[in-house]
Amino acid sequence: MRPGRLIGKTVLAFAGFMAVFPLLWTALNSLKNNVDIITRVPRVVFTPTLANISYIIGRDSVMTGLYNSVIACGVAVLIGVVLGLPAAYAVARYPNRWAGDIQFFVLSLRFLPPVAVAIPLMVIWLQLGLYDTLAALIVTYSLLTISVIMWLAIPAFQAVPKEVEEAAFVDGYGAYSVFWRIALPVAARSLIGAVAFSFVLVWNEFLIALMLSSSNAKTLPIVASELSQQGMNVPWGILNASVVLLSLPPLLFLGVLSGFLNSVFRQKKT
Amino acid sequence: MPRRSSLPVTFVVPTLVILLILSMVPTLYAIVIALQNRELSSTAYSYVWFSNFVDLFFDRRFLNAVWVSVKWEVVTVVATMAVAIGLGVLMFEVASPRLRNIYCLLFIIPVLLPRVSAAFVWKFAYHPLYGIATYPYRLLTGGLIFDPLSKPATALFAVASVDVWQWGLFFAVIVLKLLETLPPQPIEAARLDHARRWQIHAYVTLPMLKAPLISLMFVKMIESLRSFDLIYVMTRGGPGVATETLDMYAFSQGFIESGKVSYASAMAVLMMIATVITFTMLWKRVQA
Repeated sequence: MRPGRLIGKTVLAFAGFMAVFPLLWTALNSLKNNVDIITRVPRVVFTPTLANISYIIGRDSVMTGLYNSVIACGVAVLIGVVLGLPAAYAVARYPNRWAGDIQFFVLSLRFLPPVAVAIPLMVIWLQLGLYDTLAALIVTYSLLTISVIMWLAIPAFQAVPKEVEEAAFVDGYGAYSVFWRIALPVAARSLIGAVAFSFVLVWNEFLIALMLSSSNAKTLPIVASELSQQGMNVPWGILNASVVLLSLPPLLFLGVLSGFLNSVFRQKKT
Repeated sequence: MPRRSSLPVTFVVPTLVILLILSMVPTLYAIVIALQNRELSSTAYSYVWFSNFVDLFFDRRFLNAVWVSVKWEVVTVVATMAVAIGLGVLMFEVASPRLRNIYCLLFIIPVLLPRVSAAFVWKFAYHPLYGIATYPYRLLTGGLIFDPLSKPATALFAVASVDVWQWGLFFAVIVLKLLETLPPQPIEAARLDHARRWQIHAYVTLPMLKAPLISLMFVKMIESLRSFDLIYVMTRGGPGVATETLDMYAFSQGFIESGKVSYASAMAVLMMIATVITFTMLWKRVQA
């Protein structure tokens, strides 16, 4: 093997190691007692404990945060699917002179700085008496989910072979049943990827949740970040366990999302 | 496609109306608030028109925040693209198809993590006494202390490294997939001309991928605007104001330090105008 290749392989292996090691180390720390974490030399051999994890799961604030995150993200994604997918299909299949502008408008929503949206919304929700409720969070997140799902679903629908849909029209299907029975199932794989992506995005969202909740509607990221503010006596093990809990749901989508990436680029090839 | 169908209208109009309401109401209201003198502590307010904006231009902390934001944007975008292209090309050159799949899966993991999680993971790792990332330094220097997050000179780069860890590795996967879509003939031709490996990429493959790479950079520029979570968890804008970006400063003015909601909103409005104009112009150029 030439030395260049060897160096290249080493660099790659190191990058692969760097990609996962910090996270694995956090997972390992979540199984440690505080004495095993606060050491100058990192400890690999230790007596594992489940105390941190059971503490996290047993805490009301964490469970409420988990519940809030699941409801807020779940409902917002559902709204995103119901409103975003049909609109994306219409833009993809019935192009008119505004199609480009609509696409740009949807993308431009992503340019808006989150603070610029969160400050006025906080004032608005306060005036409506909806501040610190899940409803307010869901409505705010819907803006995100609808626009992201629409943006990703337009190319997914465009990739469906037109002939399939035209054949269905010839067979007497109406416009709506072509959408339901042909376009949706054929594009399903890419669409699931788009939906999963929007879920990960709102699950990971922090700033808006921080500004729109004070006690009742706190999502899991907010609860986790508050655990770290308990003075100098940081409960490292507990903190590590909460990071692990927070990170698990998005990682469940790893398979779906990498499949989505593959399908996007396979389409480009042909 | 049938010419006359109610589908486009029934499918597009409700969604667009809702999107317009959800986006325009807060945007316009942000401008209204910015022209007032609202504070969190009281419900009374009046219109002060542009005095918040005038104050901003004499606020040295605001000007610092603009500078920090620009630095953050440049550092993260450049480093992400460099890491992505470097690792993408490396995977293309030296990894077997099976290894490529494994690396792709590994490299997607960091970007899926909530920013809060990523920030915590690295905050522990950078801990001067117990961190795993500072351990090699302690080992080599015999126990000297290196605290990257509390030095003004290194704090921004330490936080930026987490952003690059998340996005650079992810984009490396995309660069690899883009390289895989290229036709093999130009690469073969360059090889027959005895071009070196790096020359093939510098002069043949990467120029062929110019358009998608620019789009990728555009996406990263937009995502880099969302630095708040990382900075909030890792440094809170500190040490001093060394990592205080615009959104961090707006947040602390509006909610932590003084509760000057209108002042914070004026900042947010300026940010919004700057980003919308910049990205609209960039987008039109990318599309053209």
